[in-house]
Amino acid sequence: MTLATDFRPRHSRLYRLRRAYFASPLTGLVTLLSVAILAWLAWIVLDWTVLQATFDADANQAICAERAGACWSVIANRWRIILFGLYPLDEQWRAGVACAVVALVIVLSCLPLMWRFSRLALVWVLGTAVFYTLMRGGIFGLVPVNEQQWGGLPLTLFIFVATGILGMPLAIGLALMRRSELPVIARVSGWIIDTIRSLPLLAILFTCAIVLPFMLPGFLIGEKLYRVIFGAALFFAAYQAEIIRGGFQGIPRGQEEAAKALGLGYWQRMGKVVLPQAFRLALPATINQFVIAFMETSLVVVVGFMELLAASNTAFRTGEWRFAYIEVYVFISAIYFAFVFGLSRYGAWLEARMSAGQRKD
Amino acid sequence: MMKPILLSTVSLGALALSSLAAQADQGDTLRTVQERGSLNCPGDVGSYLGFAEVDDNGVWRGIDIELCRAMTSAIFGDPSHANIVPIDWAQRWPALQSGDIDIVIKASGGTRSRDTELGLQFSMSYYLGTTKVMGHAELGLETLADAAGGSICVPASTSTERQVSSYLEANGIEMEIVAIERNEEVEAAYFSGRCDTYAQWGPVLAIAASQSDDPSAHVLLPDVLALEPEVMIARQGDDNWIDIANWTLSALLFAEQEGITSENVDEIRQNPPTAEIGRFLGATPGLGAGLGLSDDWAYNVISQVGNYSEIFERSLGMESPYQMPREMTALWNAGGVLFPLVFD
Repeated sequence: MTLATDFRPRHSRLYRLRRAYFASPLTGLVTLLSVAILAWLAWIVLDWTVLQATFDADANQAICAERAGACWSVIANRWRIILFGLYPLDEQWRAGVACAVVALVIVLSCLPLMWRFSRLALVWVLGTAVFYTLMRGGIFGLVPVNEQQWGGLPLTLFIFVATGILGMPLAIGLALMRRSELPVIARVSGWIIDTIRSLPLLAILFTCAIVLPFMLPGFLIGEKLYRVIFGAALFFAAYQAEIIRGGFQGIPRGQEEAAKALGLGYWQRMGKVVLPQAFRLALPATINQFVIAFMETSLVVVVGFMELLAASNTAFRTGEWRFAYIEVYVFISAIYFAFVFGLSRYGAWLEARMSAGQRKD
Repeated sequence: MMKPILLSTVSLGALALSSLAAQADQGDTLRTVQERGSLNCPGDVGSYLGFAEVDDNGVWRGIDIELCRAMTSAIFGDPSHANIVPIDWAQRWPALQSGDIDIVIKASGGTRSRDTELGLQFSMSYYLGTTKVMGHAELGLETLADAAGGSICVPASTSTERQVSSYLEANGIEMEIVAIERNEEVEAAYFSGRCDTYAQWGPVLAIAASQSDDPSAHVLLPDVLALEPEVMIARQGDDNWIDIANWTLSALLFAEQEGITSENVDEIRQNPPTAEIGRFLGATPGLGAGLGLSDDWAYNVISQVGNYSEIFERSLGMESPYQMPREMTALWNAGGVLFPLVFD
């Protein structure tokens, strides 16, 4: 409970600043030193990325070498490869629109307004359908583009989103099974989770892409991309199931017993009492898991997909631009950063919002 | 080829399974390819400059890609049926065995273990790759032995690393081996002066030297650490398929030997100087029947893709940014070791 009145005296911002950073000569010194180092680093970065950089799209290695900074010409010339991989040049507007659709769907489903099962389902089904139609083509007069030609940002987003959509329900299922009262179910689920967690993601992806086709009957093999997404989703689910189980353990037993006493059935208890609370408790770890899943999309390069990271490698692996790999890496780090930072800030906001009713002082 | 075998364990496990399954499913590769309407070859984002790379418009370039286009032209009469599938190093053998790709043309050498243990089959060599060493000119090195006591940068966990250590051991040279994972980083380490010398697959080394800020500051040492003949690789057991690969390569080399280029091929076909060339270009019948191809398949290859020299110059040679000389990869009558089979 917060006290109704705060009796502590209010101070000016300057006073607080002075007390925090310049309380003693030593603190003052440390503060000044840190500020100096930070300013120096910031200057180096600014100098390299902007002041000394070459922005001319027609520049080449020799021209860039005359200035000490970054050579952004590589981005100007190769951005299509970085963002869209080997997606056919004339059709890249489709990949661009598809990216925007996914981004829109993600933003929409982050809005509390949309948090109804029906609305979320509608947005996702529609979004996925539009994305797939645009990317794959073959109808409405769009030229068909094979999954193997997908690349860059749309592929990264697609793998990430599909991993989440498949992985989350799977995780909930596994977590619920693991706390089942039937020992067989609980133990089987435990075994599944522990087996998957004991394998590296790389090995799972490789198995799904390369080994599975030898073991499955023909009609089950499907496109390599979907097998890989399935593998990534399994991996995601195993970790996320444990995170949810952690959430379950934070809920007092009395909650579920009370729900039982009120005559709620299993699904009502889970859906209305247990899971919402478990998710709230597990939120920080869940956001973390999503961030990891986003980063791990880059692993699909080992099975030959040209996602964002691989596409950017392709961008500088050519005679003209081989010297400019740092610029390309900086460019895609900015893309990754934008996504992950957005995700983290959203997580923090969500946490604040969800715990609003429970704040303890 | 000498590239990271990061996933070798997993891929070998996959292969153990795959070779079993693949034995049953070899069939007639040519027919499979014709029915599918495309020849699937590997492309790689981590391959070597000049062998497989992507231009500004997202089109694959490089000698490996051109060979795939040549084979596609032989089969379909048109290189646009080539389908370049991005495939990682570790994945090329399982992908070949599983039928995802029809042939591996990926700067890969013909080795005993690949032939006998992985169940593969090779064409003749289309490129001879040597592992060499480059050093800073200011050190005044003449051979690698002069660099004794110094350091050598090598790409980590590649066959280059093994070749370097066995060469040093065999010649009693003591050097500090600095193994670094990524190619860009190995190069950066050498150019920044972290190492005295830099060992790498020949073409990569030559390109690195020629494109450095000051090419004259580096010398290529005469030591040859290893030789690897790069070949086209197919599944064992489809003799006609490897024949097609071999005769496509021979056609490229024969055309170069006879001075037939994509420019003058039509002219020569109208007026073949010999009966041999007349048959070669499909002016008289007889070339394709034995392979299951059309009689003008060689004409299609040369007119659509060009001869070996044209391919080389576009990819690695004087018309490319890399300006590499042919050297060993020249024809037999120009001081090299490549030769066509006889088109009798």
